[in-house]
Amino acid sequence: MTNSLFQVLSCAFVVGCCLVACAGPKEGAPGDETPEAQASAFAAAPLTVYTVNYPLAYFAERIGGERVEAVLPAPPDVDPANWSPDPDTVAAYQGADLILLNGAGYAKWVARSSLPESRLIDTSAPFREELLPLEGVATHTHGPGGEHVHAGWAFTTWLDPALAKEHARAVAAALAGASPADAALFADRLAGLEADLESLDRRLTAARQTLADRPILFSRPVYQYLIRRYGLNARSVHWEPGEMPGEEMWRELEGILEHHPARLMIWEGEPLPDLAERLEALGIASIVFDPCANTPADGDLMSVMERNSVSLEGAAGPGSS
Amino acid sequence: MKDVLYLAWRYLAHHRIKTAILVISITLIVYLPAGLNVLVNRSAAQLTARANRTPLLLGAQGSSLELVLNSLYFESDAPELLSWAEAQRVADSGLAEAIPLYVRFRARGQPIVGTSLGYFDFRGLELAAGRSMAILGECVVGAATAEKLGVGPGDSVVSSPESVFDLAGAYPLKMRVAGVLAPSYSPDDEAVFVDVKTAWVIEGLVHGHQDLAAPEAASAVLDRQGDTITANASVVQYNEISEENIDSFHFHGDLSGYPLTAVLAVPESDKSGVILMGRYEGEQEPIQIVRPIAVMDDLLDTVFTVHGFVVAALGLVGVATVAVAGLVFLLSLRLRRREIETMIKIGGSRAAVGSLLVSEMAAVLVLGTLLAGGLTLLTSRFGAVAIQTFLLG
Repeated sequence: MTNSLFQVLSCAFVVGCCLVACAGPKEGAPGDETPEAQASAFAAAPLTVYTVNYPLAYFAERIGGERVEAVLPAPPDVDPANWSPDPDTVAAYQGADLILLNGAGYAKWVARSSLPESRLIDTSAPFREELLPLEGVATHTHGPGGEHVHAGWAFTTWLDPALAKEHARAVAAALAGASPADAALFADRLAGLEADLESLDRRLTAARQTLADRPILFSRPVYQYLIRRYGLNARSVHWEPGEMPGEEMWRELEGILEHHPARLMIWEGEPLPDLAERLEALGIASIVFDPCANTPADGDLMSVMERNSVSLEGAAGPGSS
Repeated sequence: MKDVLYLAWRYLAHHRIKTAILVISITLIVYLPAGLNVLVNRSAAQLTARANRTPLLLGAQGSSLELVLNSLYFESDAPELLSWAEAQRVADSGLAEAIPLYVRFRARGQPIVGTSLGYFDFRGLELAAGRSMAILGECVVGAATAEKLGVGPGDSVVSSPESVFDLAGAYPLKMRVAGVLAPSYSPDDEAVFVDVKTAWVIEGLVHGHQDLAAPEAASAVLDRQGDTITANASVVQYNEISEENIDSFHFHGDLSGYPLTAVLAVPESDKSGVILMGRYEGEQEPIQIVRPIAVMDDLLDTVFTVHGFVVAALGLVGVATVAVAGLVFLLSLRLRRREIETMIKIGGSRAAVGSLLVSEMAAVLVLGTLLAGGLTLLTSRFGAVAIQTFLLG
């Protein structure tokens, strides 16, 4: 009897253990990885940094070196400001260690996407007070929400080398925050980048002094920060380098020239030969100042800006009209 | 000894009905208080486990219980609303991660939880299929919701109007299911997760419509003065977000004033949590910050008080039942006097006869107790499911 009772109790105990063991997983049970193991794995791999434009990718690469893998998924033939990634590309952004935003409303797709707030870095946040508002943009009203504006800020901030330095510092701070062990390395590399940007600033300042107050035209209103930085006497039109403007646009230009007798038009890209010739006939020379928002076909941001400054110096120098 | 046990067994087997009644009585006496205790403890554990894992919750001044039930269990009506600026305030403080929550709308009875991707990391939720929501209009559904609605990645879920009488209210939004979560055995299984911006689309605060500057929208334009265009209500608004129309979606008014039902604050440390709580202590402060576990403990204190009374009552019933069972045994001894005398006359010692009677009683007690133990174990095992099904809906 004792044996039988013992067997019954043993069976009950075993059944109980099985039932407890079979109980479902508890809520919120995360993976078994310890923070130390995660930190170790994190330290071994380079930081994956997704950006919304090329200048930020360049800054991340320059500052991070081998410790950073900078990714700009926008195709090379589009303006990243107007590009919208597909959901799978947004999912790739979600997986990044850091997502560098230009701020100032650049890349409107960001506001329509689900991105991890803790990894979003607005690199223009430190100089938000210095952003320039866009002008002449339509507002609309319907329903009880009242009037609202779809405009915002001018966003080609990196064309001002001083603001570009602010961007770079924000990038360096974000990288150091994500990988504190490499903070000293990032600081060293940032210093090199800042020196290059200061050198660019000096060259552009010299070109500006040669230009003096000569009126100039920009083919599109994306150079606001360059204009402000160097106090250029400039007006902007909405012309595309690859499209011949209609007659109405030419008349509009003639109207502008009456009050703003520019002899130089600055383009984002090389204008069509016919377009350049017709401008030439009006006494307006064309040069290219590439904002370099997307990955350049050759060189990098600094070499493109170098070419831009050479173009500007050439246009401003003796012999130019 | 074997003989005694065999005779006891035969006696119990012969008087099946009497034995069954005694065993059931003993089982219930033991099981009812034990089972109730286990059930209440499991309920408390279920309710408090989630509250325990939720450090701090911010909401507008009002019922803290409503705030907690809405934010943690997606039950109860939406509490008083607070603004998106409060989430920014927490994030900007650097003391805690701010996870916004907007739990107001439903899709075929399932709660739509507007939040951020941080929520999934915080709750340790993993995808069983598909991917996380990536753009406006996408959702991720909990395991139970996917089963109930029969949806998976690529399917659609439509939000329900808040009121059938609200003809001018928000349009239903057709949302694409981007992924399905693995079961977490929590209220998250019942939810339809969307980005908080998609929840604002449902409310109509973020919307897309035809370009009012385009010629085809001329009939919807009431007035055009300079850069300001005023449209009438006939302007075509989209109730499904696609790759073609997503670029037309925009925010009305100031984003910082957009509504939330709560902000889940995840402090970096206990100290950060205390500092953060201190910032909302003022009497004029329109925002309350609560520790969900404290709110749930208050609720459970009430439950445990009632539970104590019930257990005490069951104890009294148990004592009465034990007394009745004892009486049954004593009466049965009296009825079996001749049987006992016969056993003695045919050579059975008084000790052997006594052992036989004690064995019968012991067998009934052991059997009843074992059954009660089994039932308590089952309650412990399936109590959580029962609570989810019957208590949390």
